[in-house]
Amino acid sequence: MSSEPPKTSRKLFFREAITRALTEEMANNPKVILLGQDIGKFGGSYKEFVGLIDRFGSTRVLDTPVAEAAMVGLGVGAAAAGLHPLVSITYMDFLMLGLDPLVNYAAKARFKTGGQITVPLVVKTTAGAKGQGVVHSQCIEAWLMAVPGLKVVAPSTAADAYGLMKAALRDPGPVVYVDHKRLFATTGEVPLAETIIPIGQAAIRRTGDDVTIVAHSWMVRIALEAAERLQTEGIGCDVIDLRSLAPLDMATITQSVARTGAMVTVEEGQLTCGVGTEIAFQLREHLENARIARVGALPAPVSSNPLLEAACIPDADRVIGAIRKLLGSNSA
Amino acid sequence: MIYALTVPGAIEDVNEVRVLEWHGQPGHLFAAGELVVELETHKALVEVRAGHAGVLRQILTPEGDWQAVGSALAILSDEPSEPLPESAGDLAAMAVEFEIN
Repeated sequence: MSSEPPKTSRKLFFREAITRALTEEMANNPKVILLGQDIGKFGGSYKEFVGLIDRFGSTRVLDTPVAEAAMVGLGVGAAAAGLHPLVSITYMDFLMLGLDPLVNYAAKARFKTGGQITVPLVVKTTAGAKGQGVVHSQCIEAWLMAVPGLKVVAPSTAADAYGLMKAALRDPGPVVYVDHKRLFATTGEVPLAETIIPIGQAAIRRTGDDVTIVAHSWMVRIALEAAERLQTEGIGCDVIDLRSLAPLDMATITQSVARTGAMVTVEEGQLTCGVGTEIAFQLREHLENARIARVGALPAPVSSNPLLEAACIPDADRVIGAIRKLLGSNSA
Repeated sequence: MIYALTVPGAIEDVNEVRVLEWHGQPGHLFAAGELVVELETHKALVEVRAGHAGVLRQILTPEGDWQAVGSALAILSDEPSEPLPESAGDLAAMAVEFEIN
């Protein structure tokens, strides 16, 4: 007989973690429907919708035309009328076309109607640079964080992709669920037991005493690479994976920086009015003396040229450079 | 001669694969060009075919298990009774190219 303890998790591709969450929630709740481009027989651009149309049929898995404003609009209306739709906008760049129904209707409905109408809508979209140029690479999460009533989540692991999708599909909404092109090639352990990751809770991925790195989505992996390399020169890093951008888990960040005294934010989007800017200011309201630096994309569109793409977005070298500068210039 | 069948690479973005299906059990004689095993990556199925005739001797990565690019999936040999290597280190030296598509 084997003496190994029973397994409590199973390794899945990132896309399979999303598929599992969708499958469970659709089986649990007949109000959950999916709308998107090529999510039916084709199974989605990243194969995260594979098999769902066969199991749940074409009345709950709907292929749409390339018409993002109409797709989000349809989702908002269906949600206000009582369904729990997920609208898949393959590239986050094209969510711009759906911002009017998302911002002006979905996010405001609960306020406008005194809570009589809620919009339990999930918009799933894929951000990030991976060789696809100026209009298929952007990270505009920070724009969405500024909209009252909108929740924004961005997993970096397969387990969180699963648990946050389940949370989003049970939330009164609206929720924007942001994944990243580079995450789809990753794998990770996902609990066998049904697990929900509450929206608004960050995760500490690594602990160290000298500096706190705050990141989300793919940049968590860049932050961990930087932390690993800095460890060899005696610099210990707390790495916080935000998981939720709206609401922000400032308690976890503040607690960490109160101990380390320094914070570097890392994001793939723009620094101006970015995720890091917001976190830095909110942190300063609690910790006046914290040393802070931000790392983000250069102020230029992401090029189709792979060398220019790599030059534009943060890598571990840039994160390490920012941390050395921050610690060096201020340490007595 | 003994051959180690390893996870073929490099495939863009792929560090590890999952074994979907073995198309024969130990003892099976594969003809040249015959499908040996199907592997799953994050977005595609990879078919591994025999470059020449050989006998599947031992499956090292069963269906549903994961393996890293370059690591061994199975041992094959020209003759059904050739003695198998005893250590994993010996296997690495026996890795040969298989045809993939």
